[in-house]
Amino acid sequence: MAKEIRVPRLGWSMEEGVLVRWLKQPGDEVAEGEPLFELEGEKAVQEIGSLDAGTLYLPPAAPAVGSTVLVGALLGYLLTPGEAPPRGSTRVDSPAQNVKPTAPIENPPKPTPLATSGPAARRLARKLRAGASDAAGTAPTESAAPNGNGNSSRLRDTSGAGATVASPRARRVASELGVNWRALSGTGAGGRVREADVRAAASEPRVAASTSGDNLLTPRRKAIAQRLRHSREMTVPVTLTTTADVTNLVGLRQQFKSGATSVVPAYTDVVASLTARVLRRHPQLAVRWDDGHNALRAVPDCDFHIGIAVDTTAGLLVPVVRDVLRKSLVAIAEESRALAERARAGRLTAAEMQSAVLTVSNLGGYGIDAFTPVINYPEISILGLGAVRREPVVGQHDQIVIRERMVLSLTFDHAAVDGAPAAAFLADVAAALANPAAHLLGD
Amino acid sequence: MSRTSGETSVEKLCQLYRTMQIIRQTEEELARCHQRGLIHGACHTYVGQEAIASGVCAHLQPTDRVFSTHRGHGHALAKGMPPRELMAELFGRATGCSQGRGGSMHLFSPEIGMMGTSGIVGPCILQACGGGYAAKLMRTGAVAVAFFGDGAVNNGAFHEGLNMAAIWSLPVLFVCENNQFATEVPFSYASANPSVAARGAAFEIPSYELDGNDVLEIHRVAGEAITRARAGAGPTLLECKTYRTRAHAEGMPDFGYRTKEDVAAWKERCPIIRLRETVLEPLSGSAPESNLAWRFDAIDGEVAEMVKEAREFAETSPTPEPATATTHVYAQVRPMPAEPSAAGERMITYGQATLEALAGEMKRDERIFVMGEGIGKRGGNFLTTKGLYELYGPERLCDTPICERGFVGLACGAAMSGARPVIDFMFTDFVLDGFAEIVNQIAKMQYMSSGRLKMPVVLRGCIGIGHSAATHHSGSYYGMFAQAPGLKVVVPSSAYDAKGLLLRALRGDDPVLFLEHREILQVKDPVPAEDYEIEFGRARVVRQGDSVTVVAVARMVHQTLAVCDELARDDISVELIDPRTITPLDIDTILGSVKKTGRLLIVDEPPAHCGFSAEIAARVVDEGFNDLDAPIRRVNGAFCPTPYSPELEAAVVPQPADIAAAIRALIQE
Repeated sequence: MAKEIRVPRLGWSMEEGVLVRWLKQPGDEVAEGEPLFELEGEKAVQEIGSLDAGTLYLPPAAPAVGSTVLVGALLGYLLTPGEAPPRGSTRVDSPAQNVKPTAPIENPPKPTPLATSGPAARRLARKLRAGASDAAGTAPTESAAPNGNGNSSRLRDTSGAGATVASPRARRVASELGVNWRALSGTGAGGRVREADVRAAASEPRVAASTSGDNLLTPRRKAIAQRLRHSREMTVPVTLTTTADVTNLVGLRQQFKSGATSVVPAYTDVVASLTARVLRRHPQLAVRWDDGHNALRAVPDCDFHIGIAVDTTAGLLVPVVRDVLRKSLVAIAEESRALAERARAGRLTAAEMQSAVLTVSNLGGYGIDAFTPVINYPEISILGLGAVRREPVVGQHDQIVIRERMVLSLTFDHAAVDGAPAAAFLADVAAALANPAAHLLGD
Repeated sequence: MSRTSGETSVEKLCQLYRTMQIIRQTEEELARCHQRGLIHGACHTYVGQEAIASGVCAHLQPTDRVFSTHRGHGHALAKGMPPRELMAELFGRATGCSQGRGGSMHLFSPEIGMMGTSGIVGPCILQACGGGYAAKLMRTGAVAVAFFGDGAVNNGAFHEGLNMAAIWSLPVLFVCENNQFATEVPFSYASANPSVAARGAAFEIPSYELDGNDVLEIHRVAGEAITRARAGAGPTLLECKTYRTRAHAEGMPDFGYRTKEDVAAWKERCPIIRLRETVLEPLSGSAPESNLAWRFDAIDGEVAEMVKEAREFAETSPTPEPATATTHVYAQVRPMPAEPSAAGERMITYGQATLEALAGEMKRDERIFVMGEGIGKRGGNFLTTKGLYELYGPERLCDTPICERGFVGLACGAAMSGARPVIDFMFTDFVLDGFAEIVNQIAKMQYMSSGRLKMPVVLRGCIGIGHSAATHHSGSYYGMFAQAPGLKVVVPSSAYDAKGLLLRALRGDDPVLFLEHREILQVKDPVPAEDYEIEFGRARVVRQGDSVTVVAVARMVHQTLAVCDELARDDISVELIDPRTITPLDIDTILGSVKKTGRLLIVDEPPAHCGFSAEIAARVVDEGFNDLDAPIRRVNGAFCPTPYSPELEAAVVPQPADIAAAIRALIQE
């Protein structure tokens, strides 16, 4: 059954937006969650992921790229393999003048209901169907003439217009039993939901994904989801990747290990320290969103706190190592280890997770190379660390050498900073990682 | 005219003079009040015609009844209504003679025999016949008087009424006030025969052409007529030639159809001045003359004072309470005796059941009489009165001429006068000739009189399509009658119901249309031999079920029952409800059933359009919307006159197969 693609509401007050572009072409297979199109809302252009899977179909009357579209407007359909486009799909119901009655057809397919079934919608549906009804021709042609004998007053069949309808009684019982009748497929004429359908739904054992098993949406998960969604809503994330030669960094860590220090700094600690130092030379990156997204504030280097992403059983947490520039590597390592432990124990305070200028996220332990980390808003960038790999590299004199390498993924908020400064910053970070001793000695 | 005055006592002269002065002065004050905006509706004055009402009513007792017209203030005052009650009514006050429900054209004071003025020309003639019929039936010795204008004599009511009064020798006086204009249409134009009295002669009724401004002459002739009527010698027609010297209604232009000179000339013939001069002139210079003149002058002053007081009373009287606007549409509901606990085993037909009810009630209540064509010796076309003529004779089983309007109008007057008429019109189609008498008069009488009149009229007849009766013998019309406030409409479907409902109708004080479907007169069911009543406005659940509610009356109950078993085999269990009475309607039982089933089908023989089925559907949507699990469906007869050919006839009536199909379709909705 064809799934509709509609314009989402990106903020509380959004009523319309601009369809910026399609990220898939008609005929493309779209997976659930895959970016489908870009929509410009009040605050930003946003990539909209697909809610469903299927083959993208854009009807002829679909809104053109660049046009202003109302929230809820129909943009297109996702079809299952082999499925014909819905009939009447020329009706794209945002501007009323686009709504045209479709020609009466035999065996009208059942497109996904148009979501609404209010009296006005049903009235419209009836109007649209008026030409197709009374096919028997027994109705008097004089407008005021009453019906003939036999069955009278046939309700106009609304099914062709795709309205979801429920009898008044079904709606009453649904509300009594807490059943969402709109989700039911009715057994009445034209798919009308009847009382029996509602009662059947109410008496079914709690089935389907949403109701079987435990609810995995824990409050923590919910908060994470909200935060990430918020980031996605507020930022225009662009990810740059580069590969850093970390042979020296690996060697440095070996030396730390062989030393007598109680704590061996992890790659993340060293990268945090190095990155903070590089950041001093890139003030355009040393900023945060502020004032309800109405200001970008420079972060002074005395406040270079670095967030370290920590994976816990309860979900992702980002404790913040304070004032990285003033701290030794060992101090950073000790602090980050303590924070990670507190995170895993669920004892982090809110203050311990705030005010970072940038976050470092390391997925190298899972063998991941490049990825697109999500900015920890209101920060404007996040640095992703990949796995350290021994790789053949073409050396300075065209000989093949074995080097330790790591992919760096920097996601930055294009709304806050342009691509070139971000790229320069990333290149400097890569250089610092290639020659850590020099930077660590730097000041 | 000395001869006339010489025969009339001084006291009578003063009474006539006084009545005319009361009318004149009250009317003139009303005309002033109308100009000042104190009177809300139309106001037709009687100025110039005072001699007629005064001369006739001087002979009447409070038990005698006057039925009047739109120009009726004079009749009410002459019959004894105090001017204050008249004025208060025209001012729209609660103290008015009709308590504010009537106005100028609906003045009621039945306590003194003033049976109403009327906005319709003609019916008062028939109602007076009814008043006369009631008096004759109940041997009260009372007479009935109809006052009407020349405009009424070319109306069928006049001819039907005079004929009935003549053939039954009714104690009725017909008084035509020929003031030469029907509103503004000259009688000379509207009438092929310029003599009204000649029309009376055509019915062999003693008829007199009189000077309508000569109160002594009118008084004399009316006296003879009333004496004759009381003696059982039958009706008299008086044509009183007169003139109204004010406009048709106050505020209307008056000289498009007549001249100022004409009016001025007629004012010279003022009946009041004429009486003074007639009686005083022969006595000129004598002591009796000055004595009588002094009496007349004293009357003038006394009446002026009375009218002044009347106006003050009217102006200071309270207005009616708006919350009472819909009271008195019906009489108070009688207490309901217990129904028999079981119907027993005696099986009789529908027709036998109603005959049993009527026979029993006629024995119990001598005020009941039956009128209709062939209901006397013959016992009724459908044996509705079989054997009753032998028991109760021609007065109580009265065969009528074929004049439905006439005898329905007569029934109205008879009920107003204390009798309890049963009108048997054989086929409901026939009574459409009397439609206005039912809807405009019988239905409204209790209300117009603020409940002081009771209207125990049972109007019975056959309805329904079948056996190629064709279109003048097949109508049902109950939806039409149900639109008239004041009527109760009963449509029984079983013998048991027919007996109980007819008894209820016969014992009640409201007009009831009792409609019997011809095709079910032979159905039999258990009916107790004893008397019992069935309450109006209480439906019968004919069959219980929970899949679908079907509402039907009369024959359609049987058509639906015929398919219930077949449907039950498919697990479709029908709850069949027979409201039994269209008005009042038991909507609660229907709503309760729909609450159970969620589905409603209305099966009704008449067309759907604006009919009974539409009303049920609208009420259920109004009050039971959230109980509906499917659209309300209707199966109705076609919107079509009833054809003759059996094949065509079957095609316009809901058949059992149609009903079954509709129920099955509704279950699928």
